[in-house]
Amino acid sequence: MIDHAVTILIVLSVILIGLLIVRPSLTAVPGGKILAFIALFILPITALALGAAVHLEDAKSTGFCLSCHTMEPYGKSLRIDDPTYIPASHFQNNRIPTSAGCYTCHTTYTMFGGVKAKLGGLRHLYIYYLGTVPTKLALYDSYNNRECLHCHAGMRVFEESSPHKEMRAQLGTNEMSCLTCHNKIHDAQHVDQMKLWKGP
Amino acid sequence: MAENTSRLQERLKIAAYLLIAGLIIEVITLYWFSPLSFMLFMGVSGTLVGLGIIVYLVAIVTA
Repeated sequence: MIDHAVTILIVLSVILIGLLIVRPSLTAVPGGKILAFIALFILPITALALGAAVHLEDAKSTGFCLSCHTMEPYGKSLRIDDPTYIPASHFQNNRIPTSAGCYTCHTTYTMFGGVKAKLGGLRHLYIYYLGTVPTKLALYDSYNNRECLHCHAGMRVFEESSPHKEMRAQLGTNEMSCLTCHNKIHDAQHVDQMKLWKGP
Repeated sequence: MAENTSRLQERLKIAAYLLIAGLIIEVITLYWFSPLSFMLFMGVSGTLVGLGIIVYLVAIVTA
């Protein structure tokens, strides 16, 4: 929706700029000067800012992450037909927004987490197109419980259940990783041998 | 005076061409769903629009 609005804005800008190219004498009168300011300054800056917003929003989508060939097995792993696999069970049961599946769990929930994720994405782009993609992918840092607790903290089913209740402090400080017990994650290397969910 | 006006209009034309090129590339990237489109938007479209705006501002300041 917003990309259509940006397109309309750009078309309007191009028409006005075209008018100034065809009739440069328009800028000689005060009204023409204002028109030039709008067409050559206000509208392009607005279009650029809104375009950046659209692109940054698109970059959060699951489809965007999976458009790189390297990520295909990770995308497939979201469809593993086994509820013990954490990413698959979250994706298939709408525990995360499926339209932003990768981003929801792989951004850092800190003040500049989104910026860090985008910079990481740019680094991935560079490696994908100009560098050498490693045969085995790995996270830069160990997975932080903060990302799980962003949603799970405060949930009754999590806070009051055993063994979460007993080790809650350790989970909060990362002394104990959530992945110690919930260790079935993407398993991209074996995903082709697994049964996959055919749902939407 | 006339020479000044003509120079201003010439610079405005350059700014206009840069902006049109940048904006057209921006539209293309908006409908091309690929990580490369983001790079094209940032690298090419952003640069052209930025240059166009700078040329416009320089033109009106020095006119």
